[in-house]
Amino acid sequence: MSRKPGSTSASAGAPAISTEDMCPVCKTMRYLNKDMEFLINPECYHSMCVNCVNRLFNDGPNQCPYAGCHRTLRRKGFRSAFFGDLAVEREVDIRRRVAAVFNQVEDDFETLDDYNNYLQMVEDLTFDLVNGSDARRRQAEATLQQWEAEHRAEIERNRRAGRDADDAARRRIAAEREAARQRRVDALREAEQEKLDRARSREAELDSLASAGPDSASRVQLKRRGGQVAAQRALDAAVGAAEAASGGASGGGGAGGASGVGGASDVGRLSIRGLKEKKKPAASEGPYDPFGGLEFTPSRYRVLPGVHTHPGIEKYKSDPAHVTGGYDFDDYTARAMFEAFAGLAVFVEDEKEVGVGLSASEVTAISAGIAAVGDKMDLD
Amino acid sequence: MEFNIDDLPVLFPYPRIYPEQYAYMVDLKRTLDAGGNAVLEMPSGTGKTVTLLSLIVAYQQHYPSHRKLVYCSRTMSEIEKALVELKALMKFRAERLGREEDFRALGLTSRKNLCLHPSVRREKSGNIVDARCRSLTAGFVKEKKEKGEDVEVCVYHDNLDLLEPHNLIPNGVWTLDGLLRYGEQHKQCPYFTARRMMQYCNVIIYSYHYLLDPKIAERVSKDLPKDCIVVFDEAHNIDNVCIESLSTDITEDSLRRASRGAQFLDNKINEMRESDQKKLQDEYEKLVQGLRGAEDSQPEDAFMANPILPADLLKEAVPGNIRRAEHFVAFLRRFIEYLKTRMKVRQVISETPPSFLAHLKEYTFIEKKPLRFCAERLTSLVRTLELTNIEDFQPLQEVATFATLVATYEKGFLLILEPYESDTAEVPNPVLHFTCLDAAIAIKPVFERFDSVIITSGTLSPLEMYPKMLDFPTVVQESYNMTLARRSFLPLIVTRGSDQSPISTGFQVRNEPGVVRNYGNLLTEFAKITPDGLVVFFPSYLYMESIISMWQGMGILDEVWKYKLILVETPDAQETSLALETYRTACCNGRGAVLLCVARGKVSEGIDFDHQYGRAVLCIGVPFQYTESRILKARLEFLRETYRIRENDFLSFDAMRHAAQCLGRVLRGKDDYGLMVLADRRFQKKRAQLPKWIAQAILDADVNLSTDMAVSSARRFLRTMAQPFRAKDQEGISTWSIEDLRKHQEKMDEERIRELQAEQERAENGEANAGAAAGGWDGKESDYEMDEDAEAELMALDN
Repeated sequence: MSRKPGSTSASAGAPAISTEDMCPVCKTMRYLNKDMEFLINPECYHSMCVNCVNRLFNDGPNQCPYAGCHRTLRRKGFRSAFFGDLAVEREVDIRRRVAAVFNQVEDDFETLDDYNNYLQMVEDLTFDLVNGSDARRRQAEATLQQWEAEHRAEIERNRRAGRDADDAARRRIAAEREAARQRRVDALREAEQEKLDRARSREAELDSLASAGPDSASRVQLKRRGGQVAAQRALDAAVGAAEAASGGASGGGGAGGASGVGGASDVGRLSIRGLKEKKKPAASEGPYDPFGGLEFTPSRYRVLPGVHTHPGIEKYKSDPAHVTGGYDFDDYTARAMFEAFAGLAVFVEDEKEVGVGLSASEVTAISAGIAAVGDKMDLD
Repeated sequence: MEFNIDDLPVLFPYPRIYPEQYAYMVDLKRTLDAGGNAVLEMPSGTGKTVTLLSLIVAYQQHYPSHRKLVYCSRTMSEIEKALVELKALMKFRAERLGREEDFRALGLTSRKNLCLHPSVRREKSGNIVDARCRSLTAGFVKEKKEKGEDVEVCVYHDNLDLLEPHNLIPNGVWTLDGLLRYGEQHKQCPYFTARRMMQYCNVIIYSYHYLLDPKIAERVSKDLPKDCIVVFDEAHNIDNVCIESLSTDITEDSLRRASRGAQFLDNKINEMRESDQKKLQDEYEKLVQGLRGAEDSQPEDAFMANPILPADLLKEAVPGNIRRAEHFVAFLRRFIEYLKTRMKVRQVISETPPSFLAHLKEYTFIEKKPLRFCAERLTSLVRTLELTNIEDFQPLQEVATFATLVATYEKGFLLILEPYESDTAEVPNPVLHFTCLDAAIAIKPVFERFDSVIITSGTLSPLEMYPKMLDFPTVVQESYNMTLARRSFLPLIVTRGSDQSPISTGFQVRNEPGVVRNYGNLLTEFAKITPDGLVVFFPSYLYMESIISMWQGMGILDEVWKYKLILVETPDAQETSLALETYRTACCNGRGAVLLCVARGKVSEGIDFDHQYGRAVLCIGVPFQYTESRILKARLEFLRETYRIRENDFLSFDAMRHAAQCLGRVLRGKDDYGLMVLADRRFQKKRAQLPKWIAQAILDADVNLSTDMAVSSARRFLRTMAQPFRAKDQEGISTWSIEDLRKHQEKMDEERIRELQAEQERAENGEANAGAAAGGWDGKESDYEMDEDAEAELMALDN
């Protein structure tokens, strides 16, 4: 980077015309070429569009096309400018050079005043380089080189220290950013977890309502309803425990089975004379079983809760629309298993043949099975 | 009336006192005695200002320390109101005590409001008035005059120098108006009188900014002693004021103008180098010594203000590479060019100050340290160059302030570059927001410097939010009820329309015709039954516009028009004030009017709708902030990480304080009455976040209403209110005469004695009771559990 003093255009920096929209060399306007890009060469800081650069310098070094600028430029030297103001671009280039040489830090000096004087000396020198007269610039250049020669070891050391500090700073910033990101993720997860916990506790409450005995059902109910019911508790206790239980259960809504019995007993209380006395079912029998004690445990296989997973249903497990009270994914898997195993080891042809000696119920079962296989839609 | 609180005799300028005023005084005194900070919430329209002033003045006059009162309010009209109130109080005191007390109180406002100079006062913009005033009153102008040069000066200002510097104005309370009149009579500048007399005053009343905005506070409020009592009135928005005072926005235009300013500075320096080399040299010498040296000239003449700098920085010498004027200008120019380049990026960038500085250093070789001195250095340079046309340098000053702030604070700030105004915009209009995320930074010096800081307003609930956000300890946090002889305001929460479908301004449903129609019906019904004025608040201008046009299409406005005049608030201040004036006329002459306005607009803050001006307020929708804004998002994240305030908590808190502000507009005193209608499904869950005085008035029967139910209970309420109500009815309940007060004090004393006795007994009985008391707690706690479920889901609607 030889920056010989000379042409005035170089020290003036950028030409005054707005180079944003028109290439000063070929006069192409941005209107005609939307992606026009400008390049400069740090030899003279004259900007021109990419097309011009290619046209002029692809065949080797050539003279700068600006009038009065006689520098020889190479294709390799061209780059796009960081700053809009080319004077500043040039100044920063010079500063880069100066900063590489004058890289003392505050700790290198005995007092702050010394450091400040040093800073000012550097600034003066830079200023001379940037916009001093020829003589001053030459002198500054000489000082620069002299300093570089004299303090070579120190410069090298400081450069390394500076680079280390920069690296450390960069690492710190990156670490901070990473930590912030991590915190954000954590917070999100926390919120999600909280939401899930709340849903789960609500569900657990419903479940406990559904499965619990009469006494605890009323307790759960009371707890849910909050404080105002607490006063009522004493009153409730006075009323018979069984009645309280049935009322509580039907109010809970989640305990479908128990409400049937409660409703029946309530109807029975409307007394009409002359009716036969019906036997009251014992209150302590527990929840009503609509299947009359039928056993559903499969004999051919076992369903382990929570073990059977399938990618198809995995995503619904966290979907609030599906995770409502009373719905259990294990039920789903159990049913799927049941369906899968339902037809196995039953051969329709075999059954047909032995059909003669069967009991009536077995015949209906088989015919239903055949109908289901044959034309499915009859039953549905 | 006259009474004692403990040993402190208080003179209260009215014959009757409200119970909550008394409670307020007691707590205030407790705070002052303990020497700490307080957060006090007192219902609007219960005479907060006079309570505060009469207690503090009594405190000042009774105790030998004579602590100064600094009373900060929000608007000029509120400042004037407080001054008038204080004047009446002092008159009453003088009559009672039979002598004038040695007392001086002044209000301070901008030059624009206090100028007397015949030509300057005619300027319309505050900035121009400031600039012209400075050009007439600056120190060097006077020097030039003395040297015999022909320069214009302000005779009002110069007359001040003829007076004794500590006795520019006689004792007494000076309202802004009175100050102007006195200035006119004695041909002295009211603004500088107030500024210079500040340290000899017992009471100073001015705007928040003089204390919070670090750029001004340094100049104006520097000399206040440590034992001052600082009061922030109407402080529910204090966190936003703090944040705004430290945030800057930089646009491409302001950068262009800044670089023009830098160019101009450069020319000036060159001129001066040829004509007056000595001055530059002098400045240079001073800067070598350190910033303070350069700063001993009259502080009030300072042209430009600087953001807060740590004290050690001020003592330090300016870094060598910006000591010379031309170096500094080149430095500025480089910085501006860098910002211009950054603005060319076409994607949103948000970064922290350290990463910005690292990038800056890599590309421009600007170190952090000189950047920190930027603002100070610019001030010094402008002073040396004796520039008077300051408004040309405003953008340059902004850039310098930005530079200083970005280099000073690593935490609590964020740079956000938004290249497009909105998501759909095609033409880039980049803005670089330098936002302060931490309200505590600006207010921290205030809490550090002063012993007692009191934050008070009509709506501060939930109280614990403010100490958390502003990061200060409190001695007293209290919210007062409103004692009423009759139920004079009726808050209703309407969650459903007449057709039982829920109404909400949640993002997904706000434009559904059903919801809009239900809101329209609500408005029509209330327009039918409300006498005189009805005020309606919407969450935003945008939504208001869309809903009004939909109403027009549905014929709802025609229906409302039969009953009331319809007026609309617009972002334009003049249009709005015209609408307000018409509204008031219509309310007074019996036509009645509906004012449609915005919950965060000008009307919602500071404009009272007392008596017939507001018989009902309709709050349509929860006034949430626009949550998609990047600045808000950044702030929410900061709050969560630093103060452990959750996003939803803050948003909900912010929405409810604005809703409460809107509701508070309608009730401005105990003889006033009004309806408060909260029309949104989501209000039902947020009921607890309303201020105590509103929340306690909500009956369980009045929440979760449909429109027709709300109308019928509103009708009933209005019928009750129409019954004659005499001042006598209130006595002993919501207003106390001196006898009532004595009785109350006796009762309190007895209670305290009983309490002490009980405590003694308990101490004697030993720990036997302790277990029982703990057991009692468990039962209570379960009451609070149930309310949180749906909160998150409700918030989700809005995001």
